[in-house]
Amino acid sequence: MPPENIERDEDPQNDNRHQPSRSLFTVPAPIERLFDRFPLLTYPANDLPLRAPRNRNEHVLYVFITLDGASAGAPSYNPGCLKWQTYLKFCNVNFRVVSSNNHASPSGALPFLLPLSSDTSKTAQAIPSSKLQKWTMSNSTTAVEEPSDLRYEAYLSLLDHRIRRAWLYTLYLSPNFTSIVEPLYILPASVNSIVRLTIAHQLRTAAENELLKFSAVVTPDTLYKEAEEAFAALEILLEHNTWFFGAEKPGLFDASVFAYTHLVMDENLGNGWIDTRLHDAVLQSKNLVSHRNRILTTYFPSA
Amino acid sequence: MAPPLEDDVFEKLKQKVDPAEQSKQEELNTRLFAQHQKAQERLVELIGDNTTLPVTISSVRILHANRTRRTFLERVVNPLLSSNRDEPYTFAEALRDVSGATDKLNRFGIFKSPISVFIDRPDPTNPSTSPTDIDVYLSAFERGNYTIKTGTEAGHSEADAYINAELRNLFGGAETLNAHASLGTRTRSAYSLAFDTPILSNPDLKFQVNGFASSTLKSWASHEEVLKGGNSKFTWMSKGGHKHEIGYSGIWRQVTSLVGNASPTIRADAGDSFKSSITHTWINDQRDYPMLPNRGYLMKTVSELAGFGPLKGDAAFWKSEAESQVALPFGDTGITLTAGLRGGLLYPIALGGGSTPQRSRINDRFQLGGPTDVRGFRLSGLGPHDGPDAVGGDVYAAGGASLLFPIPKVGKDSPLRFQAFVNGGRLLSLKGRDKEGKMDSAAVANNMKRTIASLKDDLPSCAAGFGLVYAHPIARFEINLSLPLVMRAAEAGRKGLSFGVGVEFL
Repeated sequence: MPPENIERDEDPQNDNRHQPSRSLFTVPAPIERLFDRFPLLTYPANDLPLRAPRNRNEHVLYVFITLDGASAGAPSYNPGCLKWQTYLKFCNVNFRVVSSNNHASPSGALPFLLPLSSDTSKTAQAIPSSKLQKWTMSNSTTAVEEPSDLRYEAYLSLLDHRIRRAWLYTLYLSPNFTSIVEPLYILPASVNSIVRLTIAHQLRTAAENELLKFSAVVTPDTLYKEAEEAFAALEILLEHNTWFFGAEKPGLFDASVFAYTHLVMDENLGNGWIDTRLHDAVLQSKNLVSHRNRILTTYFPSA
Repeated sequence: MAPPLEDDVFEKLKQKVDPAEQSKQEELNTRLFAQHQKAQERLVELIGDNTTLPVTISSVRILHANRTRRTFLERVVNPLLSSNRDEPYTFAEALRDVSGATDKLNRFGIFKSPISVFIDRPDPTNPSTSPTDIDVYLSAFERGNYTIKTGTEAGHSEADAYINAELRNLFGGAETLNAHASLGTRTRSAYSLAFDTPILSNPDLKFQVNGFASSTLKSWASHEEVLKGGNSKFTWMSKGGHKHEIGYSGIWRQVTSLVGNASPTIRADAGDSFKSSITHTWINDQRDYPMLPNRGYLMKTVSELAGFGPLKGDAAFWKSEAESQVALPFGDTGITLTAGLRGGLLYPIALGGGSTPQRSRINDRFQLGGPTDVRGFRLSGLGPHDGPDAVGGDVYAAGGASLLFPIPKVGKDSPLRFQAFVNGGRLLSLKGRDKEGKMDSAAVANNMKRTIASLKDDLPSCAAGFGLVYAHPIARFEINLSLPLVMRAAEAGRKGLSFGVGVEFL
């Protein structure tokens, strides 16, 4: 094999013409001038294949969503995705949602944003959800600052832990798996039954492992009770304010709460709820229900 | 310490050779040689005289084949026996058929070669024999029943380590079980288990079942492809050297681990898909040395039907590829002209039960360009590109011609050649982008016609260059200096030196 450095790139950035040191493998100037005349003829670029996305004039947020939902701008059916979809809408970012799956993401999990590229010949670096807030701050004129409330972190952990765990249980390990996860996550992936069974098994084990990180055994009663307490705490926190922490405009926290309350309240999620305990718990929190409805009607008018 | 016998040999060597003794020895040698020659001639004469002698083969005995099934060997040997034939043999015919059977045995690959043949006349006092009877003895030593190979390989920006185990003659019928595992830089990991068996003791008719799992880095399209699946196929060779293969395969493909700046086209194709397809391959290779042909031609077609009717799966298409190569020698100079032409098309069809033809995915589309097909371009350097990614095309045509000269002083008998080449091609995606998402069979047929017609538009992307070719029995190595002549914007040419290793070159 020849060493890499005797191979010349046609890409000008990779050329070592700016380097003063002349190694044995540097191409002499006359030959370089000769090389620069090739190719003798360059035609316009080839057309892209039919499946290639064509609208390249907007930021694109890749989320879990049905194809019809994506074109209608409906809310995503995944709380992690819905949180950022809602937040970007709060911040008046112009974006389009695209139906995708975890394989497409650079971090291995949706959502991520593919920003509009200034240079059409290059693809912009994808932005994973962990960096989305920072990106929004620097790209949106009306980005919402998070309140500097001391309780903020504490309440956020209610969502990220207690409510999320109950959500994982009710979706993946309860009978809701067949009525919600199957039609939303498994059936669209492939028509092959072996592939579907494998994915179903992988999803359930992943959810179970996640729950086992916090306790040695999975006890549904405890999980639901903790979630009910968390919703009750959020209900009290919101009181009669329009937005959480008495803010004037909705922020990331409102988006995070909405991501769960909306999906848990949604009667038509997948083929509907079979195990309705979590669903019922949220319906009892009047303030959270009106908070959800407010966001839904204002920011997702089509849904 | 050397044993005394060897000492003795050294002593003898040390002794001065008596010239008289030497001439005596030489004389003896010539005489022995002459005798041997005469014996050979006599044998030939004997066979010659007896070619028309009527014989009957009363028994065939295969010696040493202890682990091979009797029923398996019987299928090879039974046609030889005179009791199974309508017409009597002449001696020459019998010899020809026996050597045909040994050749068959050889081709199973389970016996050490050569397989020796002995012919004997049965005891005339045995009342059950007839005077024309002969007995045939085949001495076939079996090869070891397993081989395990491990190794490391380094090639064109790829390095890997592998272990390969083969169990031979598994059930005594030349069945083979082959297990392979490898880890590498480009093919991240690959595992396979294949079972191979001849059908009806015919080495030209084989059946294979294969299960595999692999993960391959496709850096030209910013993703990793993970495959899990299986296939089964029949292979048969016809007398004229035509090889046919027909098989079914079911593969779960995942386009995953996309890099940060992967293009939207690749992102849209990320995820799972299941391909269920029937494939037919036909090869007619008449080249004298496939790695560095001097004369002859190759023709090959591969056709694949996926997702049609009961096949189901997620991908539905008809895929056809044809390849040809011809080599013409210039007299006995060692100079050869080789020319190759390839083409392929991916025709979208509707999934079983559906009515909308499926648009092609990155897994199924063709890629073109690289040191083993269109030289002077990067790997997958031709065709549609989205940002950094070669996204592949649905229709392609490529051709090339090389003039190979023997190198002075090294000569034309060495596997080293100087080559000058020009090659080019076009890789296009199916037209029809102006109608968003709307596809029906009539539109597809029309668009396919338009796409094929536009292959001829303008000059093809092409490159020319020269270099050295070395044909090793395992692979062909090329180092070339080339320049792209015509390109499309976004296609990735390669100026200067490039290195190619492969089995099939354009």
